[in-house]
Amino acid sequence: MSQFRIPGKGRVDHAETVSFSFDGKRYEGLRGDTVASALLAHGVHLMGRSFKYHRPRGPVTADSAEPNALIGTSRGAGEKEGRFEPNTRATVQELRQGLVAESQNRLGSLSFDLGAVNDALHPLFPAGFYYKTFMWPRSFWDKLYEPVIRHAAGLGRAPSKVDPDSYASRYLHSDLLVVGAGPSGLMAALAAARAGVRVTLVDENPEMGGALLSDPGIEIEGRPAWDWLSGALAELNALGVRLMTRTTAIGYYHQNMIGLCEKLTDHLDEIPEGAPRERMWRVRATRVVLAQGALEKPLVFHGNDRPGVMLAGAAQSYLHRWGVRVGERAVIVTSHDSAWYAAFDLAEAGSKVVAIVDTRATPPEALVSEARARGIEVLAGHTVTGTKGRLRVASVTVNPVRGGTVGAARLLHCDCLLMSGGWTPSLHLFSHTKGSLQWDAESETFLPGRMTEECHIAGAGRGVWGYAEALADGAKAGADAATALGREAEAITPDVAHDRPGTGESHKELPTDRKSHRVRAFVDYQNDVTAKDLRLAVREGMRSIEHVKRYTTNGMATDQGKMSNMNGLMIAADAVGKPPPQVGLTTFRPPYTPTTFGAFAGYHRGATFEVTRATPIDGWAEENGAVYEPVSLWRRAWYFPIGGEDMEEAVARECRAMRASVGIFDASTLGKIEVMGPDAVEFMNRMYTNPWTKLAPGRCRYGVLLGEDGYIRDDGVIGRLSDDLFHVTTTTGGAARVLNMMEDYLQTEWPDLDVWLTSTTEQWATVALNGPRAREVLAPLVEGQDISAEAFPHMSVAECTVAGFKARLFRLSFTGELGFEINVPARHGRALWEALMEAGKPHGITPYGTETMHVLRAEKGFIIVGQDTDGTVTPQDAGLGWAIGKKKPDFVGKRGLARPDLVAEGRKQLVGLMTEDGAVKLEEGAQIVLDPEQPLPMKMVGHVTSSYHSATLGRSIAMALVEGGTERMGETVHVPMPDGVVRAKVTSTAFYDPDGDRLKL
Amino acid sequence: MLLIHCPYCDETLPELEFAYAGEAHVDRPADPSALSDEEWRDFLFIRANPKGPHFERWRHVHGCARFFNAVRDTVSDRFLMTYKAGEPRPDISKLEEAQ
Amino acid sequence: MTTQTHDFTVIEGGTAPVRVEDMAPVARFSLRLREAHRAAVGQALGFDLPQRVGDVARAKARAALCLGPDEWLIHAPEAEAEAIAAAGAGAYAEAPHSLVEISDREISYAITGPAARELLTIACPRDLDRLATGRAVRTVFDTAQVVLWRDGEDAFRLDVWRSFAPHVRALLDAGQAELSAGF
Repeated sequence: MSQFRIPGKGRVDHAETVSFSFDGKRYEGLRGDTVASALLAHGVHLMGRSFKYHRPRGPVTADSAEPNALIGTSRGAGEKEGRFEPNTRATVQELRQGLVAESQNRLGSLSFDLGAVNDALHPLFPAGFYYKTFMWPRSFWDKLYEPVIRHAAGLGRAPSKVDPDSYASRYLHSDLLVVGAGPSGLMAALAAARAGVRVTLVDENPEMGGALLSDPGIEIEGRPAWDWLSGALAELNALGVRLMTRTTAIGYYHQNMIGLCEKLTDHLDEIPEGAPRERMWRVRATRVVLAQGALEKPLVFHGNDRPGVMLAGAAQSYLHRWGVRVGERAVIVTSHDSAWYAAFDLAEAGSKVVAIVDTRATPPEALVSEARARGIEVLAGHTVTGTKGRLRVASVTVNPVRGGTVGAARLLHCDCLLMSGGWTPSLHLFSHTKGSLQWDAESETFLPGRMTEECHIAGAGRGVWGYAEALADGAKAGADAATALGREAEAITPDVAHDRPGTGESHKELPTDRKSHRVRAFVDYQNDVTAKDLRLAVREGMRSIEHVKRYTTNGMATDQGKMSNMNGLMIAADAVGKPPPQVGLTTFRPPYTPTTFGAFAGYHRGATFEVTRATPIDGWAEENGAVYEPVSLWRRAWYFPIGGEDMEEAVARECRAMRASVGIFDASTLGKIEVMGPDAVEFMNRMYTNPWTKLAPGRCRYGVLLGEDGYIRDDGVIGRLSDDLFHVTTTTGGAARVLNMMEDYLQTEWPDLDVWLTSTTEQWATVALNGPRAREVLAPLVEGQDISAEAFPHMSVAECTVAGFKARLFRLSFTGELGFEINVPARHGRALWEALMEAGKPHGITPYGTETMHVLRAEKGFIIVGQDTDGTVTPQDAGLGWAIGKKKPDFVGKRGLARPDLVAEGRKQLVGLMTEDGAVKLEEGAQIVLDPEQPLPMKMVGHVTSSYHSATLGRSIAMALVEGGTERMGETVHVPMPDGVVRAKVTSTAFYDPDGDRLKL
Repeated sequence: MLLIHCPYCDETLPELEFAYAGEAHVDRPADPSALSDEEWRDFLFIRANPKGPHFERWRHVHGCARFFNAVRDTVSDRFLMTYKAGEPRPDISKLEEAQ
Repeated sequence: MTTQTHDFTVIEGGTAPVRVEDMAPVARFSLRLREAHRAAVGQALGFDLPQRVGDVARAKARAALCLGPDEWLIHAPEAEAEAIAAAGAGAYAEAPHSLVEISDREISYAITGPAARELLTIACPRDLDRLATGRAVRTVFDTAQVVLWRDGEDAFRLDVWRSFAPHVRALLDAGQAELSAGF
């Protein structure tokens, strides 16, 4: 057994050893150890190097507030590298068999760090160093400053492999959520659960009990603290309270929504099959009790960061929870009573307590007598002016302070220095709620003030100190919460014996006799911010605490200023010359402790990263080698390459085949809305620009939908099936938006209309059949409708049977060829597709994807809303003026179209562009200028919206929005590109079959 | 994530079921063509954007699908009340008193 | 050491605490109408159409769920689809409404077992304790809109738009694996 472990003591299992490695060296710890407690048991304090100066550092805490002892952890190298995690707190990470831990932030070895040269050069790195240094010359930025900063910045190293773990999430609804299972939280949960409330109790530690775990000498209701704790937990379990350990409340959001991150497997030797690593809980609680306790503050003095210098409360925890003495010879320096008890406990456990140094002139007499009785020297009214020791504290210099004057120094030899600057309530979660803080002059700290949520705060978290008071305060909070939830509750006050109440003082940096430029007194250990940095920031003009924070980076590290904020405030307030409440605290933000990206992502990674919608025909496309493109949430077949074709070759083949014979296309993603009711036609007249009254049942029309501003929002072919029934189609991406817009008008502007809307997008699978042979392929499969040119002309719709399936059959064309769109119930989509493929075989039927569809429509000058329009394009701009029902008294967007800027000259209009060299294809998005010789910056008169190589025409074609475009037919415009200016002629957008003869089949 | 009371479902439900839909009580004019350019501009673009209670529209889009109105304090992000579409604009001073 | 307790039971003997199953197709209709015609159309379809959002009326094998003040979702055996459409058409002249067949728009999953409710909490933000047996609501499951039916204390159904269904199913399978592993 290691030298510092006390046999049988603590809450660890002395019968089970757990082996692990740290920086390649093997160690043995006990089941229940953290990495920090196990290393301390071996006398190892040096666990890391600081961020900026690479100073040697050891743990200062025994909990999640730890700023120094940050390690990288993994389950091994190689394949397991994906489970490497940087910046784990050694004070929190539980031992597991085979745990591999490494120290961080070192160049070379931990004990000899080349980066420590920064420490010797510290006068070069004052507050605001970055802002002052990397200003000039400009040319140094890319080559020198940024690479150097990037190399130096950040803590730890990023994992190099994909994380193989899974992460989970759940919603949880609870009458009452209690955060923190220390004495107050336990009593709150008990009081509420006894009253019949549905309670959830969470704690970030592996076991519940909070401070009681570190104070076993307390007696509650006549039982030793740990016996009382077991009883309380058993009762909570029996009352049906959901008890969650290893679960951190990371954020407090509106209306009592609390985010909890639960660690499920990091403590396990082996990861069970199917077990997620962490789970994010989104808890909605009717009431919340925050019982998070208080955080112990360090004292700020020269050399307060040396390994072996730690918080007194932490030493007490290592002793009682893990049976570890943090040293043989301890000096205590404190401004609060609590550290005296730590000294007594350590002395009891066999360590030599050299002295208790109290900054107060007259500490409580009872404590002083007890110290003397134990033979511990008491140095009241003293300050600490320095520590010595290379990788571990070896001595401390203390001096008396009389009337503000620092007296003669005295050297005390020690191997650990336990400090306490008092306690500050953990205000983080309360602060997330934007509740106001209140300065308490007596305890010189901020307490929770005005609440904004249905929340109770209990115990040390609101400045209540001592077990009797904390237990009673928790019980009251639980009872209050239960009462607020309509239950009858009683707040029982348990009897406490051997209580350890206490008070203390708050300090700025301790008085010293050292010259100020020789003082290295750390306030923020993680970011290496000293008291001097804070004072310099104030001298250089920072007055707001928010500015001081950003200039010095105090409190900006991953510990969220848990240890540094209050000390930083005391010093900044002193420097500004204002009382602390007038300077105020910076804002605490979620998460409370560093949280993995995995926990936030939850199930949203890999195949379930987001919804991927697929059509009923998608399976066929996949089996036939389709390449996909994402279109809103859908994945759509982009093109169907054959035998090693690239996209251009495949698209050219698909285009030619369709124009020569017949092509088949999956159009199922089109939005579809059933508009039904006696006022259906009136509704259509009001929504769309087109007139609908005279559209006969059985006929279709291309509809344009505007916003009230007059700009195009959507388009699509709309069929009238009966007087009262329209089948509306929308763009793929616009389906939900259009339905929402229509519902909005119906519900709020025209509630008098007797018409209703139903989305049928996914009711129907839609197959488009296009090409001169389309009718020959389709006709044998159709029953109940003559589809000859005479009986079923262009822009017709009918309900009939296709391939044996009930169908809605449209004759329309988005390609310029004879075209049909067949809608069948979705489950039959693939069967219909396969029937058409079979029927089309003799004609060489060719499946084509969205890219070919885009080329084919561009050859005809048909727009794609969202590609050729951008929310500032009117129907006239797009050449769709013909689709406006000018005689209609009103429709959505009619008044908008008459806005002064929409009727002004020189608007950008959609035109065709033909490059002078047909082999050159313009780039979509490229800017257009009239005079390529003009000086920079050139006047841009428009941009290319669509551009393709047209196999049909044997050259490139493009569409563009150009200022006054329709007036420029035949003119040459210029498109400056990186490798030269491209000349193009302005043309009509109807590149192919401008008279539409091919539709007359 | 807020909780929102749907006046049609008469239930207080997670914000994830709802969608914001702009300022409330901006009625589409009966005859837009009769409006001057300035009046039409005001209807289209000019909004109150207050610091404090804001009359706004929401839709219970993943629930009963109805549009409804709400008064939300833009400072605290709290809903003071919700009410059905078509109901008159509530008196803010009375609402604040009730708070 | 404190152990964590969950409020569901893992069944002994390797049986999963929750099952997720595809359900056979049913006839589905979306019905929308004004209050004035609720009784007439309801009668034609064989229901007293419920008025409260979330309530379900049942008539033999048919169910009508009130989704909103003017909207109902009707489930019926597939064989009854044509009869329902015809009944609606017959009532239309007197009581105009919109009755649209959406049988193929959605598919349904059955989620049953002691951990059924817990499984749904992986992606459903509603408090499921407040959804009484026999009722149903439109809500969200992750980013997909769903109709969630509670058929019993441990029995739920999810109607999901067809193209969203694989995503919902994948999440349910992931959650089921966790629960089966005891996590």
